[in-house]
Amino acid sequence: MKNANSAKMLLVLTGFAIVVGAILALAYQGFYPRIEANRIAEERRAIFSVLEKAKDYKTIEYTRDGGEVVKIFEGMDAGGNTVGYAFLTSGPGFSATIKIMVGINLDRRKLTGMKVVEHLETPGLGTKIEGDKFTVQFKGLAFEPKIEYLKGKKPEKSNQIQTITGATISSVAIVKAMNRRMKIVLEILEGGGS
Amino acid sequence: MAGKSLGAEFVKGLWAENPVLRLLLGMCPALAVSNSAINGLAMGLATLFVLVASNTMVSLIRRIVPSQVRIPTYIMIIAAFVTLADLCLKARLPEISKALGPYVPLIVCNCLILGRSEFFASKHPIIPSIIDGLGMGIGFTGVLVVLGMVREVFGSGAIFGFVFMGEDVFTPWVVMILPAGAFLTLGMLMGIINYIGNLRKEGP
Amino acid sequence: MTAVLIFLSAAIVNNFVLAYFLGICPFLGVSKRVETSINMGLATTFVMTLTAVITWLINHFILIKFNLPFLQYVTFIIAIASLVQLVEMFIRKSSPSLYRSLGIFLPLITTNCAILGLALFMSLREYSFIETLAFGVGGGVGFTMAMVIMGGIREELEFADVPKALRGAPITLLVAGMLALAFMGFAGMLSV
Repeated sequence: MKNANSAKMLLVLTGFAIVVGAILALAYQGFYPRIEANRIAEERRAIFSVLEKAKDYKTIEYTRDGGEVVKIFEGMDAGGNTVGYAFLTSGPGFSATIKIMVGINLDRRKLTGMKVVEHLETPGLGTKIEGDKFTVQFKGLAFEPKIEYLKGKKPEKSNQIQTITGATISSVAIVKAMNRRMKIVLEILEGGGS
Repeated sequence: MAGKSLGAEFVKGLWAENPVLRLLLGMCPALAVSNSAINGLAMGLATLFVLVASNTMVSLIRRIVPSQVRIPTYIMIIAAFVTLADLCLKARLPEISKALGPYVPLIVCNCLILGRSEFFASKHPIIPSIIDGLGMGIGFTGVLVVLGMVREVFGSGAIFGFVFMGEDVFTPWVVMILPAGAFLTLGMLMGIINYIGNLRKEGP
Repeated sequence: MTAVLIFLSAAIVNNFVLAYFLGICPFLGVSKRVETSINMGLATTFVMTLTAVITWLINHFILIKFNLPFLQYVTFIIAIASLVQLVEMFIRKSSPSLYRSLGIFLPLITTNCAILGLALFMSLREYSFIETLAFGVGGGVGFTMAMVIMGGIREELEFADVPKALRGAPITLLVAGMLALAFMGFAGMLSV
């Protein structure tokens, strides 16, 4: 009797596991194209928002030593001329990772824009990193020698921004993430030829 | 069937046995995602879906599952529905899915859902189980929306994302949208409800 | 080095209970006395550490390798549930006195969202194995700390004259709110 019982337990559990696995696999198959499409559409929107002059873009994938793949988006105008580069970067914010898209103009050594792609910051405070008042500071910001931040003071130099009151951690996270990735991107774009 | 009518099964979740206010179930999401009304609503609806679906399933299979393995089976069913809800949100409503972030998968651990499966759906036929899930889910959503509204009004002078008190007339109480504000708001809300309840009991 | 930072961050700055609202149910339900708080905290820390290790292995060697992200929630929760069951059986065999003192709290650990939260956060943040371990232990220590502080305050509260309407859950929530405020003082000290 006891054996029969454990056999039944095993049977029921395994049966359910298989059914659940199969249903989820099907659902994933069904939803995946849509999820992927959403992701790409969002990436596109972000690229065009940080590279305003761009009409089209192409993705450059560069494998660094150690196998890490770095994706850089090259923005082009209608004539196919390069107008700037964009890249994704992320860093730990106040509650979770903040992911941002950054646009740069290589010739003028300036940022062309910044857009927050993903974040879970506190509504009303950290969410201000998405607001125009904060993001506009990055337009035309010099990224060399590196981007600096000031608390509660107006920027004095061309490579400085002012952090948001009440959201210092979120603001600093963005600047740090930018600086970190910028180094790698510049190395790739200027170091290794095309 | 003996016992309460279907109507009573539905209504009890809204007030008398409200999951958050009375049964103290599902506190984590109630506190975590109620920082704005819209987030509270989305989370409430996602939970409602999982609750009704898993109640239905559990009720359907209640006779074939040996009692020793019922908890793992229920958890598996709940996790499956949560994954479905998560995929669905990601595909259809990417913005909301991003705002709720890692709290959607945590519906799995919402003791409300496992609690209803164990205490209600595993002992009742399908129809009452669905009704019970609906009532509990709506009661849960209601609390989340109210909490979200209170915190949003005081914390950012807005309601459903619509700012009606600009920063020039009203200094937002930052604490309300921070974690501490969630505890304080829910504590006060429960206090007020108890107070009203006490008044009623004692008569005018 | 990052492992140490992650440990401190999970234990203090980004305390699971007070900053992420994970594990609220036991935090409010089982924190009436310091002693039960300690026991519950230790049992949870133990399960959290094991969970961190096992779910990391599952995630890396099965889910990522075979590209099965949609099975994540199901496998994680089943891993946790079986782990709790195993721990329960092990403790019952090896130390009946400890088993008695933990008693009913053990099975409750399964539905502690702090544990599933831990597993999800570690996969979301792409921690390495050592970092995951530090995260698990840190999260557990932070949880225990919050439980013990709460237990201590509630023991004192029994002698306080709490307004009638606030007795029970409401005053506990208000206290938790104050605690969360206090822990906010650590915010921003570390960012990992």
